[in-house]
Amino acid sequence: MVAQKITIEPVTRIEGHAKVTIRLNDAGKVEHAYLHVNEFRGFEKFCEGRMVFEMPLITPRICGICPVSHHLASAKAGDAILGAPPPRPASLLRELMHMGQIVQSHGMHFFELAGPDLLLGFDCDPATRNVVGLLQANPDLTVKAINLRKWGQEIIATLGGRRIHPVFAVPGGVNKSLKKEEREYILSGYDDAVATIKIGLDIIKGWAEANMEDINKFAVFPTGYFGLVDPENALELYDGQIRLIGADGKQLEKFEPSHYLDYIAEHVENWSYLKFPYYKKLGFPGGVYRVGPLGRLNNSDKITTPMANEELKKFKAINPGRPVENTLYYHYARLIECLYAAEHVKDLLDDPDIFSTDILNTCHNPQPQGVGVIEAPRGTLIHHYWADEQGKIEKVNLIVSTGHNNWAMCEAVDSVAKTYITGPDVREGLLNRVEAAVRAHDPCLSCSTHAVGQMPITIEVRDPEDNLIQTISRD
Amino acid sequence: MKYLFLGYGNLDRQDDGVAWHLLCEVMKRLNYPPPDLAEDEFPIAHGEYTFDFQLQLTPELADPLGSFDKVCFMDAHTGNIADEIHLEKITPEYQPSPLTHHMTASTVLSLCEVLHHHAPEAILVSVRGYEFKFTRSLSSPTAALIAPAADTILEWIK
Repeated sequence: MVAQKITIEPVTRIEGHAKVTIRLNDAGKVEHAYLHVNEFRGFEKFCEGRMVFEMPLITPRICGICPVSHHLASAKAGDAILGAPPPRPASLLRELMHMGQIVQSHGMHFFELAGPDLLLGFDCDPATRNVVGLLQANPDLTVKAINLRKWGQEIIATLGGRRIHPVFAVPGGVNKSLKKEEREYILSGYDDAVATIKIGLDIIKGWAEANMEDINKFAVFPTGYFGLVDPENALELYDGQIRLIGADGKQLEKFEPSHYLDYIAEHVENWSYLKFPYYKKLGFPGGVYRVGPLGRLNNSDKITTPMANEELKKFKAINPGRPVENTLYYHYARLIECLYAAEHVKDLLDDPDIFSTDILNTCHNPQPQGVGVIEAPRGTLIHHYWADEQGKIEKVNLIVSTGHNNWAMCEAVDSVAKTYITGPDVREGLLNRVEAAVRAHDPCLSCSTHAVGQMPITIEVRDPEDNLIQTISRD
Repeated sequence: MKYLFLGYGNLDRQDDGVAWHLLCEVMKRLNYPPPDLAEDEFPIAHGEYTFDFQLQLTPELADPLGSFDKVCFMDAHTGNIADEIHLEKITPEYQPSPLTHHMTASTVLSLCEVLHHHAPEAILVSVRGYEFKFTRSLSSPTAALIAPAADTILEWIK
């Protein structure tokens, strides 16, 4: 048996480009698996020289999938640079838009990206293990799932005036208040949205019960967990302090987001363009942590909305007193957050300040730098700008959600490959599990470029000298 | 007869957004003023013609598609398709796509067919993209293809 290298490129059903290489040794066992992120955007560099008020319009172009997260994180960094905290009504409206983003993104991921694996099975024929197969198998559910995503998108469009690249948040506030009829329109979709999310929760819990063996051997490993919380350690997605807990569940740090550089650093590997953030005091890789739904729920003691909080209690009961380490529970955590976001939409719409026109702080106290942090659907998103006295950007540092999870995604790929691939005869279903390890994190590798016929999947089998032994194309 | 002209692509990545420029050209040829910005509110309906532009094809497009008789999808393509301007008839059929967020036109049609038990007659007109930098201006060779691509589409609706 000759040692082999298997390459899956790109990984399917995630947002962007990635490649998985699985190296088999002479015995046909997995030696190591790597997740490579092989694109480079350079956004930080070409933001230099732009004005701070332009940044909420420029940075959403980083991604066509979660532009709202960049839009809001950028506006928050702009608030700090201008020294202009937004009036409360503006923060409520920004948060409302953010909840729309969470609902549409989490809904899309669960029902349309992860759903085929969960509902049709990892080993199902790839010809039907997709959103159309799902629709054929569960037409009513799929229509509900499409409507759930649509509801989230409509919240964004109602506030931002556009379906993509919203023009809404500006440094110091927002540029549009909410009308009463807009509130009623959003509320009209609330009951259906919650009902659909609850169906999803029943699905994932039923699936977990029936697939406990997979859950317990699919990429289960200890890390720290990182994310925003409120003063009482309740889940926060828009504002708050950053909390970091260790693998044992004990709090390591809780700090103001603007101090992030005191606590985290980024490690570089020569086989990926994506850096590996870690907790400085524990070094790399000891200080690696996870973000996103699993990270946030492990990090939160409670949730401020009743239905999601009840689900959180069930989630916490999976591994009492300790963090939930199972990668496949990202899906359960994602739906609990989706439920929170939907419930929180109603809370925000019921707030007496929601119709206020006091939405922009025009009193400025310029600062040389500003940090904006938000919990994007995929995890903590950090925008850090340095500007001159006129507000011209001199330097930008962006730590995107997927970056925080980089080590965890690599570990998950390696773990799943070693668990499920036991010999040189690698079946499609096994490769799909490796891809699913990446998909569970819902990474956003931000390509947003898609021309006809550009992205077939190719799996290359190579020997240690890089000679091509076999090519499998999935197009 | 109800027609939908549906362009999609990333306008910020140069030739990837060629469909936006093509959609505007078709609107002009049909004597309708194109909107100033791709981000403006879509779809825009003028009599039997409806014009739409999206960053990418998504599952929720399957539902409105069912109300049209004929749909013209517009996209960019790279060098792996030989034609400078490529026209193909689209049938409702699931096509594996590495990234579901950029579903193919056939897949959206397929979803439409399952939802509505019928799908509109459809074509895909794609234009060769040469450069994919961070700009909204098309490369010269791609810009030169806009007029003939619009000719192709107008011929189809005759």
